[in-house]
Amino acid sequence: MNLDRDSIQAAVRAKVIELAKTLGMDASEIGDDDLIPASGYVDSAAILELVVWYEDAYQMPLKQEEINIDNLGSINSMADFVVRRKAGG
Amino acid sequence: MATPLHAPRVNNNDDIVQVIAFRVGVGDYIEKGDIVLDVETDKAIVEVAAENDGYVIKLMCEVDDRVAVGSILLWQGSSLDEPVPEAVVAVSGGGGNARPTARARALLKELGLDASVVPTRGERLTLADVESHMAAHGIQRRDRTPAVSVSLQENLPDVPGDLCDLNAEERGMLITVSWHRDHAAATYLEVEYDPKAWEDHAAAYASANKLMLSPLLPLLTYRLVQLVKASPRINATVVNGKRFQYRPVNLGFTVQAGETLYLTVVRAADTLETRAFIEALGEVQRHAIQRKLSREETSGATIAFSSMARWNVSRHIPILPPYCSLMIAHAAPKGSGRAVLGASYDHRILSGFDVARLLMDLAKPPA
Repeated sequence: MNLDRDSIQAAVRAKVIELAKTLGMDASEIGDDDLIPASGYVDSAAILELVVWYEDAYQMPLKQEEINIDNLGSINSMADFVVRRKAGG
Repeated sequence: MATPLHAPRVNNNDDIVQVIAFRVGVGDYIEKGDIVLDVETDKAIVEVAAENDGYVIKLMCEVDDRVAVGSILLWQGSSLDEPVPEAVVAVSGGGGNARPTARARALLKELGLDASVVPTRGERLTLADVESHMAAHGIQRRDRTPAVSVSLQENLPDVPGDLCDLNAEERGMLITVSWHRDHAAATYLEVEYDPKAWEDHAAAYASANKLMLSPLLPLLTYRLVQLVKASPRINATVVNGKRFQYRPVNLGFTVQAGETLYLTVVRAADTLETRAFIEALGEVQRHAIQRKLSREETSGATIAFSSMARWNVSRHIPILPPYCSLMIAHAAPKGSGRAVLGASYDHRILSGFDVARLLMDLAKPPA
């Protein structure tokens, strides 16, 4: 998996759109700073799938307390969190 | 000291069982209650669970072997190099044909032991002989819930087709449905409620704790755990005509992972604070999606919860998991402004009044 920030952002966006599609929603208009849980495109179960995919895709096991709005709330924050963690931050 | 696991008596009329699958091998560490092998009689397939913790140090039979009830199936030890007692390695080295006394016969039956494997000190096989045998081999009276059997007496359909083996999840579901059908006096009732108070409560909690996932269902299930903790009579089942009162509240929670439905379990949920419970439930849900659930996370539910709100159904009537007397069914049809809390329950343990009162309490978030 490419760890370039733009690539991460694009991959997360694609995954959100894919998960929304399984629920019959078109999430192609979701903004990169939109709060994913509040967007209405995906429900909790789909967000859980997103988190599991994210951990696997970036080989980045998460502690339960890390799964919060600050770290993973939007497409941008998810991309930033990978970059930060891979940089040792 | 090495301890043996004996072949159980499945049916009163079957003195022989056939080993059809081992789920463990020499060197594996297994805990009391872990399923270690499957045995079959003419009428049923039964899972055999370990009665002690320990390493598997010797298998005494192989798949497809037909063994006498009471025979030693395997030995466990506290370490891998623990010796197997030579004197009892041979299954047939027991007390021969000495006729058991009534009390000895009753204990043998309870233990699932064959009289021929128990040495005798006199002409009759006595209670003391059986107790000596138990002490020598670390056999304990069974305080765990018995295994669930599945009927194998059906006729094939009169239409061409092929019999296919079930995978592990399908077998688990078959066992669950069979217990529900054959043992529980399963009944269902439901109440409707206005979901707004719970939604507001969950939204406030999510905002205060910056949660990524809606805590609505975790908070609902935590409330259920607290209500059951306050009314322990709900946390029970029936075994051999007696009430079996569970000590911990182990919460079962259904998770649909792809095409597989898991009943994940948060153990000792009654000992957890709200946040710790939500995190524990989140953890088992992630493990289900990753297909990395441990045995501890998929067994031992004493109460259970299932929501089909995601699928927009208006009602579903859950199957009770084995030895579980209550399973809550949550539904919240989109756009209806109402939600439903239903419950499948075992009427041998719970009355409609018990369950209706519980559901009405559950419909309100904590103050």
